Amino acid sequence: MSARHQLRALAALWRLGFAEASAYRVALFVWILTSTFPLISLALWAGIARDAPVGDFTQRDFVAYFVGAFLIRQLTSSWVVWDLERQIATGELSALLLRPIHPLLHHLMTNLAALPLRAALAAPLAIAVLVAAGGLQIAPSSLELLVLPLALVGAWLINFSVQLIIGSLAFWITSSSALYELWMTCYVVLSGYAVPTSLLPAGMTTAVRYLPFHAALGFPVELLIGRLSPAELLTGFAVQCCWVVALALAAGWTWRRGARVYGAVGA
Amino acid sequence: MAEPAVQVEGLGKRFEVAERGAGLRAALRALVHRRVRVVEAVRELSFALAPGERVGLLGPNGAGKTTTLKILAGLLYPSRGQVRVAGFTPHLRKYEFLRSISLVMGHKRQLSWDLPAVDTFELNRVIYDIDASAYRRRLDDFVERLGLASIMFKPVRQLSLGERMKCELVAALLHEPSILFLDEPTLGMDVSMQLAIRAFVREYNEERGATIVLTSHYMQDVSALCPRILVINDGALRFDGTIEALTRTIRPLRRVSVRAESFPEDAALADWGRVIERAGDRLVLDVEPERVPEVVSRLVGLPDSRELLVREAPLEEVLRELFARPDDADEARP
Repeated sequence: MSARHQLRALAALWRLGFAEASAYRVALFVWILTSTFPLISLALWAGIARDAPVGDFTQRDFVAYFVGAFLIRQLTSSWVVWDLERQIATGELSALLLRPIHPLLHHLMTNLAALPLRAALAAPLAIAVLVAAGGLQIAPSSLELLVLPLALVGAWLINFSVQLIIGSLAFWITSSSALYELWMTCYVVLSGYAVPTSLLPAGMTTAVRYLPFHAALGFPVELLIGRLSPAELLTGFAVQCCWVVALALAAGWTWRRGARVYGAVGA
Repeated sequence: MAEPAVQVEGLGKRFEVAERGAGLRAALRALVHRRVRVVEAVRELSFALAPGERVGLLGPNGAGKTTTLKILAGLLYPSRGQVRVAGFTPHLRKYEFLRSISLVMGHKRQLSWDLPAVDTFELNRVIYDIDASAYRRRLDDFVERLGLASIMFKPVRQLSLGERMKCELVAALLHEPSILFLDEPTLGMDVSMQLAIRAFVREYNEERGATIVLTSHYMQDVSALCPRILVINDGALRFDGTIEALTRTIRPLRRVSVRAESFPEDAALADWGRVIERAGDRLVLDVEPERVPEVVSRLVGLPDSRELLVREAPLEEVLRELFARPDDADEARP
């Protein structure tokens, strides 16, 4: 397959994914509503910081941080773990395996295709929260704004690769998505989703910055709201790159091993 | 001689299946002690199909037909043996291989459930790199033959089973595969829809010279479409040849039925053949092939003789008898 043909095929998959996301727009909106946890954290932490800052976070910092966390979570999420688990368990994966394009590219594009719609549905909610909380005060530099898309891509790839690894485990175990719940439990605590990682106990703050959870959320959020020094920015990107490479390689390996034992059940 | 479209040598496929007994105790025991049974879905299979052949894979449930089809389509890795399809090793799923084949499954779909079928057609056009004018020509042709004009713009979830299968066939054939695998394509369909699908598949084979490999529980599908059948049982090949050859090997007797006002006594009829049914004005006999002309002339001479019919035993009965025989007593082994 030529590179040009490959690009056309990816664009066609994107269009299909967008059409599917549009067909499921109500479900997508409900899903967005179920992932408003950062906005709940916002209410909690902004209340605590009303009279005095908590650590280095003022009330306005919390507003900016958690609205940022909500938006970045929307822009970096995927659902391939559930799709893969179902497709492997029911044999639906066969239809994708028969097409002359890699099934993981199909998932990659259809997941990416839903992001614009997801952002469009989440934005009014974020704006409403910002208006209610008295506005947003962030001052990212032009450099930060320039590199933010890179950090978003890295965060998305980490989330997607982790879901691929866990989803591919369905080749061997019946309910691999249960393992994803375990990942999400750690993610809520260690990524900065429930509490900014700089407010964790002293020893943990440094350690969690080297984990994939923070690279997938806390790092792009802190970048967005301009809380990173140049050194922290570079370290953040280096950590993110390492995790993207390691997790993508692991996802590829798990997929290849799993495809060998695929039973194409019922198909 | 042209390279075979499909070449299978000593194919075997083993699955590990987890097992446990019924009830809570068995469920708890399974938590600490997982019992695994090895199932030989395909034991030893060898055959070759020439380009353009229409071949039926027959066998009872669990015989290994669908597993064989999935291996040929590259969905499953074989446990042993060699498989070549269109000159490729299927499980490597090379781009050119996937462009050369299609697998249509009666109980599975490739169409996007909540979108119109035409969206999947368009996706396949790009993925299979089909030239725009060829795509339009083929789609128009398929739409006309299958009467899809009014249904391909409806979301797939709103289509009937038969309408959906027609769309599945179109999605599978737009890239003009040279080898088409059909797994129970008429499952659950009414007779007119079965006829339409059969006619369409036959035309595709005759016009494009494509190889067709079909599994179906509807013997009419197989007898109408496939000059050659491969009978598989217990993961091994039991017969390879024409339906007529199988029938004559397993059930050489011809079935003769007639209506008449009266028939001779049973003892006299036993001399003509084996009495299968005698009820009122109807008589059914199984007769040795070489004695058919003689018996027919006698039956024609019966008072008010009418509706005389001579045919071979139905394929269902032939297969039932074949599967009931022990493997080593199999006269039909190729």
